[in-house]
Amino acid sequence: MDSREELAARLDACQKCNVCTAQCPVGKVNPHFMGPKGLGPDRERYRRGQSILDERTLDDCSNCKTCEITCPSGVKITEMILGARRAASRVPHNNRSGMKLLLRGYVLGRAEYLGKLGVIWPTMTNQVLKLKLVRLALDKALGISENGPLPAYGKPLKVQADKGGRNGARAGKQVVYFPGCYTRYNEAETGRVMTKVLEHVGYKTIIPDFHCCGLPLEANGQFDKAHKNGLYNLELMRPYLEAGMPIITSCTSCGLTLKEDYPKLQTTSAQLIGAQTYDLFEFLWQLYEKGELPLDFQEVQASYGYHPPCHLKAQGIGTPALRILGLIPGVKIRNLDAGCCGLSGSYGFKAEKYDKAMKIGSALFEAINVGVGRGDFQGMTTECGVCKVQIQHGTGLPTEHPVRILAKAYRL
Amino acid sequence: MWDAIVVGGGLAGCIAGIRAAQRGKKVLIVTEGVGTLYNFSGIFDYGDVERLREVPKHPYTLFDSQAIAQGQNFVQEICPEYVVNEKRQFAFTVLGTVRQGDLMPSSMVLPDRQEQGEFVLLVPEGLKDFFPETVVANMAREFPGWLVSAEKIQVEALAAWTRLGKNVSSIDYAAIWRSKEGQKVLANKIEELNRQRQVAGKSPRKVVVVLPSLVKEYYDASRTKPYGNEWSLPVLEMSSFVPSPHGRYFAEYLKHRVTDWGGEVMIGARVLALNGELTSGSKARECQELIVQSMGKSLSLRGRKIILATGGLLGGGIKVGMERKSIREGVLDLPLFVPQEWSKPQFFAAQPFAQIGVETDQFMRPLDPASGQVVWDNVHVIGRMLAHWDPWTQKCGGGVSVTSGYAAAELI
Repeated sequence: MDSREELAARLDACQKCNVCTAQCPVGKVNPHFMGPKGLGPDRERYRRGQSILDERTLDDCSNCKTCEITCPSGVKITEMILGARRAASRVPHNNRSGMKLLLRGYVLGRAEYLGKLGVIWPTMTNQVLKLKLVRLALDKALGISENGPLPAYGKPLKVQADKGGRNGARAGKQVVYFPGCYTRYNEAETGRVMTKVLEHVGYKTIIPDFHCCGLPLEANGQFDKAHKNGLYNLELMRPYLEAGMPIITSCTSCGLTLKEDYPKLQTTSAQLIGAQTYDLFEFLWQLYEKGELPLDFQEVQASYGYHPPCHLKAQGIGTPALRILGLIPGVKIRNLDAGCCGLSGSYGFKAEKYDKAMKIGSALFEAINVGVGRGDFQGMTTECGVCKVQIQHGTGLPTEHPVRILAKAYRL
Repeated sequence: MWDAIVVGGGLAGCIAGIRAAQRGKKVLIVTEGVGTLYNFSGIFDYGDVERLREVPKHPYTLFDSQAIAQGQNFVQEICPEYVVNEKRQFAFTVLGTVRQGDLMPSSMVLPDRQEQGEFVLLVPEGLKDFFPETVVANMAREFPGWLVSAEKIQVEALAAWTRLGKNVSSIDYAAIWRSKEGQKVLANKIEELNRQRQVAGKSPRKVVVVLPSLVKEYYDASRTKPYGNEWSLPVLEMSSFVPSPHGRYFAEYLKHRVTDWGGEVMIGARVLALNGELTSGSKARECQELIVQSMGKSLSLRGRKIILATGGLLGGGIKVGMERKSIREGVLDLPLFVPQEWSKPQFFAAQPFAQIGVETDQFMRPLDPASGQVVWDNVHVIGRMLAHWDPWTQKCGGGVSVTSGYAAAELI
């Protein structure tokens, strides 16, 4: 930790300018939410890592991290809020609604188990989830909104273990792919396309049998399980990290977790994970800068609106997907940058938060509708799976991962 | 390789980025947070340009009057609502006092004091940090002979907040006034005021409605739906207070202009250092790469030109240690001009510390104050980081930032 980070971690770096609160997507739609400054640095003075009884608004934070990238003084606001939630999770719940929310947290946090169940018989799962009665039951029993755009399941992405073992890692150019639950269980085709793209640019892909990165678990209050998953995944990555191989993510939230949270875990490979994790397009851009990216693009006559996911912004790498797509002849892209989509992982699936999530996303939906109305673009593209689901739910416009556009240009 | 990397996304940095992108240059803005744009009043101060150009070493001495006019024209080009008049123009502050301003939105310009008229101050319910009694008293004092009255105005969308006794920030109200619902509420209220005055049948006085938190400009037609802006009485904006709605919309607007013209904004990233070599035949070094801290790892970015726009003491570009034992430029560790005396006891006096900054040659390249030599050949310093000026007493903050930002973009 350098001195600047130390300063930022300290509460005193917060100058109370309220800019984070002014930008907070949740604060705009939820009158009971005290905002990032209040919930983060202000309350932290009283908490100092302890739990405050009845501090219920902690769960209202959607962990989108807009406050952190907004802060002119580099205060780690969501880190303080997550710390407080971690402390609060150790206080026993004893009322019925507490139990219901606990159970919901258990279900929504387990994107991975849901995925594993869902893909056993995807068509059936999808049909069942479309039944109004089932959704109503989920709403009443678990507080999962009956209107929320729950993603559909498909044929899962196959794990591809490293056949050559550690020696293989040295032999050819290889990368490890961390697909994340959404790509693995809901949209495996994007994962397969990505493998093809990586192969086209000269890299073999290894996909170990990872567990969920842990972000949805944390967001739903299951900090111990998230911690275990982190250690498990890091252990799977260890030989590859030690061999100097890059870890590639296509989901911006998994990517952020690997870069931000995993380095804090108490294990040797934690020191390597931050520097060796790349968002797919960050990796491709690095190849381009070195002159190693194949430029055999075919023309793609298409125009897109682009939504930069909050967790991509929080990675502090800019918008590398736009740089790469900008190299493809014919592709036209407008970076809408119109704020959070509102879904924020599983936030918008929750019954009491569905309307708020839709309101949060309204500025983005408006920007999309205006752009389409003016004929600026016909489709949307974004890296994040759940942003995609929310955009399609809010606007009806087809939305795809930018790697799909790149694959078209490579004719894959 | 970028044509230019701008460090800092405040006013100077954004102006440089937009102009460079407009000129077809590949430009990247790297910024840690939103900077001090959220403190923007909505008015650009240029100060007494001719007199300040006589002040030794003042940044205006680096530019001829044509360069200053070009920057000003550029603001008007991207913000067509901004007007310059032959006569000095004035606006209301949120305290109801009057302040002079050189470049301001036309809907902020006060009417002629000699004209007899009536101000109706609309007071949005629960508007944070707004004190109507004080404002009315100040307005009446500033405009003797004018009638001044206050009228409450409320909107349903924010009723949940005010019912809880919570304040509503002017940023949230500004968003309402730009929405369909807010436009309707305003139109009805103004129509009602108009009717009341016609029924009363008093001698026809000029009636002007004044509304704090209203922001009509920085309208982004590619992302926002148009709503009617025609009211039956003229409506005046007031200059903004922190966190500023003018600043919020202006910052968003500038960011969109950068990306729409093909530039990129990398937010949440902090520039750590710059590496370079001595250029042949001179004592100045040439910057080769910029080291940027992103989440989990540091990136190396290469740019032909580096524009330093990190702000001064207030913006975080200059770090002052405890008891002023260290005073440093935070990114490149450039040599700083530091006055002998730190401060004067009179609060509103010209404070010597305001003069801290980087001394440059006429191309805004940093100089070593001891030797007078250029330190970096391809680094240009703009905005508040420049030495030898004082935005508070010389009232030229906007002018120096816009002029130097625009001029730097012309050098790329």
